[in-house]
Parts: sequence; C-alpha cells; structure tokens
Amino acid sequence: MNFENVIQSLMFGLFTGAIYGIAAVGLSLVFGVLKVLNVAHGELLMLGGYISYFAFAAWGLDPFLSLLIVIPAMILAGIVLDRVLFRHIVRQEGEEKIKNSLLVSFGLALIMQNLAITQFTADDRSIQVAYMGMGINLLGISLPYSRLGSLILALVVILALHFFLHHSLAGKAVLATAEDVEAAELAGINIHRVFMLTFAVGASLAAIAGTQVVLTYGISPSVGLYWTLKALIIVILAGTNSILGAFPAGLLLGVVEGLSGAFLGQTYSEVIGLVMFLLVLMLRPQGLFVRQ
Amino acid sequence: MEEVAVKPFTQDLLRRWLSPAVIIVLVLLAGFVPWLVNRENVWNLLYLICLYITLGQSWNILAGFAGQTSLGHAAFFGIGALVVRTLWLGGVPFFLAFPLAGVAAVAFSLIIGVPTFRLRGAYFAIATLGVAEVLRIIVSQNLPMISTISAVQIANYNLPTRYYAMLGLTLATMVSAYLLLRSSLGLGILAVREDEEAARATGVSVLGHKLLALVMSSFFAGLAGSMFAFQQISYYPSAPFNPNWSFESVLVAYVGGLGSLIGPVIGAIFYIFVHEVLAIRLVNFHQVIFGLLFIVIVLLFPGGLMEAWNRIAILLKQIWKKVVSHRKPGGQPL
Amino acid sequence: MNTMLSVRSLRAAYGDIQALWDVSFDVNEGEIVSLIGSNGAGKSTLLRNIAGLHRPQAGTIQFEGLPVHRLPAYQIVERGVILVPEGRRLFCNLTVLENLELGAYSRRARKEREKTIRRVYELFPQLADRQGQRADTLSGGQQQMLAIGRAIMGQPRLLMLDEPSLGLAPLVVENIFEIIEHMNKQGVTVFLIEQNARQALKLAHRAYILDQGTIVGTGSGEELLKNDEVRQAYLGFAKTEDSLL
Repeated sequence: MNFENVIQSLMFGLFTGAIYGIAAVGLSLVFGVLKVLNVAHGELLMLGGYISYFAFAAWGLDPFLSLLIVIPAMILAGIVLDRVLFRHIVRQEGEEKIKNSLLVSFGLALIMQNLAITQFTADDRSIQVAYMGMGINLLGISLPYSRLGSLILALVVILALHFFLHHSLAGKAVLATAEDVEAAELAGINIHRVFMLTFAVGASLAAIAGTQVVLTYGISPSVGLYWTLKALIIVILAGTNSILGAFPAGLLLGVVEGLSGAFLGQTYSEVIGLVMFLLVLMLRPQGLFVRQ
Repeated sequence: MEEVAVKPFTQDLLRRWLSPAVIIVLVLLAGFVPWLVNRENVWNLLYLICLYITLGQSWNILAGFAGQTSLGHAAFFGIGALVVRTLWLGGVPFFLAFPLAGVAAVAFSLIIGVPTFRLRGAYFAIATLGVAEVLRIIVSQNLPMISTISAVQIANYNLPTRYYAMLGLTLATMVSAYLLLRSSLGLGILAVREDEEAARATGVSVLGHKLLALVMSSFFAGLAGSMFAFQQISYYPSAPFNPNWSFESVLVAYVGGLGSLIGPVIGAIFYIFVHEVLAIRLVNFHQVIFGLLFIVIVLLFPGGLMEAWNRIAILLKQIWKKVVSHRKPGGQPL
Repeated sequence: MNTMLSVRSLRAAYGDIQALWDVSFDVNEGEIVSLIGSNGAGKSTLLRNIAGLHRPQAGTIQFEGLPVHRLPAYQIVERGVILVPEGRRLFCNLTVLENLELGAYSRRARKEREKTIRRVYELFPQLADRQGQRADTLSGGQQQMLAIGRAIMGQPRLLMLDEPSLGLAPLVVENIFEIIEHMNKQGVTVFLIEQNARQALKLAHRAYILDQGTIVGTGSGEELLKNDEVRQAYLGFAKTEDSLL
C-alpha cells in the first residue's frame, strides 16, 4: 500500500463523490423545500441515464452534450410529477407528510423501475465514448478524461446552483420557502410555483448525475434504489438544514469509500457508507454539517 | 317504521357466523383443492399465495398493528433463509433448523430494534431499509456462489409436503395475529400506534410493545424465509435479502388493508392473481399496476382494499335503503 | 368612508378546533381597527384566514369589494393585504436586506422596491446599520421592526399585525406603536390584534371584542377604554362588587 495508490484511491473517491454529490443535492433540495422525501430519486437518475444512453446509441451524442436534452426533458418530467403526484402530499403536515411521501414515492419508484424493465429490458447499458480510458497522467496518478469531466461538471453545476440560491431573488425565495413556508406565502411568494420548479430542478440534478453514472458505471432498471440510498445517506449525513451541504458530504462519502476500499477491501467500502449513515441516524439525527 | 333488508334474526346469524364460515371454507379449499387437482402449477400458485400472506401479515403486525413502518422486512426473511439453508444443507433435519431460523431472526430484530425504535416515522423506515441493505451486501460479498440442494434432496423433493408446511405456517401466522389483536397486549400495541404519548401516559410501555410486535413480525418473517430456503432448489444466498421482498410485503399488506386481519390475505391473493394474469404478456407489469394501486391507496384509501370495500358496502347499503324506503306500503313511488 | 375590508359570517377552524363561529365586521379605509380578546379567542385564526393562509369553512371576506376568501395567500398580498404574523417569522438564514427584498416580492411592490427600502431605513435606522447581518442576530425589538419593515416593503393598503408587542420591552412597544400610527397617517389602513388591550385601544379609531369565536362588542377606542366590562375583562382592573361578566 504505497502513497501513490492512496492518492489514486483518493482521486477516484473524489470523482465518484462528485456524482454522489450532485445526486444528493437534488434530493436535498426537494426535501429541504417541499419537505418531501422522494424515494424515486434514483429512478429519476436512472431515467436521465437512459436518455443519455439512447441519445448516444442513436446519434452518437456525447453524454456531456446530451445534457442539453436531458435537462429540459427532466424539468418537464419534474413539473408533471409535481402537478400529478407530490402536490397532494405537500398539503399535509409534518410526520405524516414525510411518511406518506416516502410511501407514495416508493410506489412511483416501483412503477418507474418496472416500466423501465418493460421498455428498456433489464440489460445493463453503458456508453463507450471515444475517449474512454484516456486521460492525464499526473505524477503517476491516472486521471481519466471522463472522470475529470464529471468532476468539472459537478463543480459547475453546484456553483451555478449556489449563485442561483444565494444571489438571485428567485433563489432567495426558494431558500425562504424552505425555511418558513407561511412567512414566504405572506411575503407574496407563490409557493406552489416554488415547489414545482424546485422539484423540477431536483429531478434534473438527479438526471445529470444519471448521465455521469451511465458513462462511468453503466445502468440498468434496477439501479434506482442503490442511488436513492446513496443520496439519502448523504442527505442525512449533511443534515437536513443544509441544502448545498450535501455536495461536500457527497465528496466526503466518495473519498471515504475509496480509501476504505483501498485499505479494507471491497465489502467494507460498500457498507461503510451505510454504516456511517446508520450511526449518524442513531446518534445525531440532525446530521454532521448542521449548526447546532 | 324502519324497513330492514333482511329479518333481524337472520341478519344476526349472518354477522356472527359469516366470517368464521368463510374462513373455514377458505382453509378447506386451500387444503383440499390442490390435492384434488394435483397439478404442479396449482401447488406453486397456492404456495406463493401462502408465502405472501405470511410475509404481508408478519409485516402487518409491525406496521399495521404497531404503526412502525419498516422497509427492511427482507432482513428477517433473509436471515431465516440463510440459517435454514446453511443448516439443512449441512445435514441438520429441516424440522430442527426451522424453529432456529425464527429464533435467529428474532435475535437480530432485537439487536437493531432497540436503537432504531428511537427514530421517528420516516427515519425509522429509512434506517430499516439501510440495515437490510447492509445485510444483503455482506451476504452477497461473502456468499457469492449459488446454493443448490444435493441430488438426493432433488430426488426426494416433495412439493405437497412443502405446500402443507407453508399452509401450516400461514395458518399459524394468521391465528397468532388474531390472538394478538384480541389480547390486552394487542390493545397496548394498538394504543402505541394511535398515540405514543397518550399510551405512555396511561402506563403502556411503548418500547416494550413495539418490541413485542417486532418479535412476532420478525419471527414469522424468519420462518417464511426458512420455507423459502426449503422450497427453492437453487438460488443466490443474497436473493432473499433483496429489498423487493420488503417492498412486496408492504404492497400486499397495504393494498389489502393495513392494520386489518384479513387485509394481507386479500392483498396476497390479489397480488399473485394479477401477477399470474399479467405475467403471460408483460413480465413486470403487475408491479406497475400495484405501484399505481399503492399510490392511490396511500393518498385516498389508507385502509386499502378493505376500506374501499367497506366504503362501497356502506354506499350500497345507503342506496338500498333509499330504494327500499320508496317502496314502503302507502309511500309515494318515485 | 369607504369600506375596505368586509368580513361576513366567517366560520373557521384551526386544526381540529373550531376557532371562529360567526364573525362579521368591517374595516374602513384610513382607519386603525383593533381586535382584542383573551387568548384562544380565535384572533390569530381570523387574521390567517384573511391573509389567505387558511380557507374559511363558511362566510365571506371582501377586500375593496372583491371576494378574497378563496384566493391563495400570494394573490391576496398582490392586492395589498399584508400580514405581520405572530412571532415575526423572519427568514433567519437571510440578511436584513434580503428579508426586506423578499417583502417586495409581489409584482406590484417590486416596482417600488428601491424607494421603499430607503423609506424603511428612514423609519428603522437600526435596520440600516445592520442590513448585511443575518436576521437571527438581531434583538427582539429589531426583529419586530424588520418584520414590520418587510411588510411595508409589500406596499400594504391594509396592514394587519398579529400581536406586535409580544415579548418586547415597553419602550420598544411604544416605538412600534408610534410607527404604526405614522404609517396610518401616511394612508395605510391598519387592522391589529393585540393582547396588550390598553395600547391597542389607545391607538385604534375603532375596536372589536372577540370572545370564544364571535364578536361580542364594538365601539370606538376611547369608548371601550372607559367601558367597565372591558376594563375588568381585558385591562386588568379589579371587579367592582356587583359586576360579574
């Protein structure tokens, strides 16, 4: 176990963590603003991946370019889902609301997953871009182009989101709604529109992550739960009050998984995230990054 | 003067004896029909129904009676299967391994139950999901090879025996759930579901009753898992830990009617039926249907098909009353 | 005088509790109207229904002739009915300035935003000094000022306040009531509910008494201040020998 391997694991952990982070921020946004837990988040990610896959299979469209299709498509999908489904849950209160959203989105996940099996078959799909396997070699550390691309994409997206939320009036309206719905209503903010757009953005973020997933790992209809759990873990770790905090938490998880995989082996790297998550749930339900 | 649809005496007779009569008829059917028909797919079909009834009912005890919505039911199912498969393929007679499976599942449930019951609602659900996933990953990493029964066991494979064992387990689960509901412990459990604070204030041990529900739930789920291990010729050891088992338990209990005794039965029969009908054409479409049904039920009919049925029954009674009252002697026709 | 707000036969619940049974009253343009009554009488519920946070079970609410009882809150704000809710309800994660900016979120108010901010800073110089600070770093009195300032940002034609004096020192309360009076002189109609009945009645042109979900009395502010029953029930005066409510 030499230094180079450790740095390599670290870098790959970072790359993976970037994808984790985008997926998690999407979930965090929806949970923070609508106060709704969308267990079908992974299925939205899967959907984004499939759009990217088919765009590549049909037109040779690079997954990064396919974002131009994926993002508008998913914004539309998000709006539809909000209007048809989540709008009814948002009206409920507190505990019941979160639990019902869990159940309803679970039904949605089931529907989406099985529709995907019927439409897309259960086969694994992956994208083989021309630059697959090629990359920069920096001081003996391999940095593939596709992975670097994912990282840069993630950073750009997060930066954009940060600017939107903290430096635009609409974004501040979203933050205000997340903090106190009634006060936002009283300030004249149309919260229904805020919910709808927030959900759409959350769905898009999931889909963006999905395009990177199909490029990096490949996808199949059943990956939804895996990614939903990852996003959930990260959101809980980050704390439910910190929307963008899910991104550094995602990076952290990626790095922890990568390093524990290097030192402790495959099994541990896969369960470590879950175990950390369970520990945090039991000991510090408000998460790690939240101010007391 | 009140009109009545049926004479009072007959009405009372119906009410008191209808349910038990139907149950007895169902059990007799379940016992004799497959034996009379003696076709493999009938044995398998009824076996599946029994399995899902058991899974749904065992989940119902925790989620419906005690109000603790767990999404990790597969953990108990999987542990039961793991224990039995390991022991049985290792030479231990099935009937000895069988109860051990239940015990193992219960032991595990107690270990995770105590810390997780501190969490509320959705966080409890997620935690259970997480725990079940941890188990699945550990098993799939450490036991990646498919598990197959020996040639001798294949030769001696007796489907009817397995079916009647499963039927027995299902009946035991139903009876236990029934007895629980009618006991004072059951009352305590229901109280915890309705309002934890109020229950605690009246002296009910909230954690104790939750654990009781958990123990029963995990026990029967573990036994169901052992049935699975007994019935399946070959499967991957991590398969019974697959979250789909958790989800199907939830679906069956919810769609049938959460918290009711008969709910899981209705849900299971309906689930398998739809699966059979649709499996011919579209392999996974039954899950899409059930997903839709599930959403509708969560949003509109929290009581599931039971509640929907009750509401329809009430509606029909009201309509009947209206119709009959216009036919009273001396009354004006519409 | 024009009737600005007209509530007729309002029935409303708060959760499972029936808070309002049959409430009817008016607020005329340019007035300050107070609503007093003991805790749990339903005062907050009334304001919340007018503001559009809840939908009443029965009855009507008309603002400047238009029925508003079925409108969502943001549309009511657009028409110029702004509520300063109980407990301030500021956006703690945002700065003073951002809170004010969001107060002018409605289309109508957004146009005048820059001007209104300057006006608010004139009224509340302490807010100007702290405009970059997070809202939760302010003192109680400053937070109430910010809450009122945020409401002013919405260009209210009818300003409603829910217990503005709650939890504040007397001097601060004086200041706030002065500002409310000032706003009124500038043309803003005010509808105010208050536990502090004395202040509320001193300030108001007219007042209503709400008890157990219905209006049980009305009069000018002065009249009610002098009324024995009111004095005993709400102003803390001792009962006289033969007077029981």
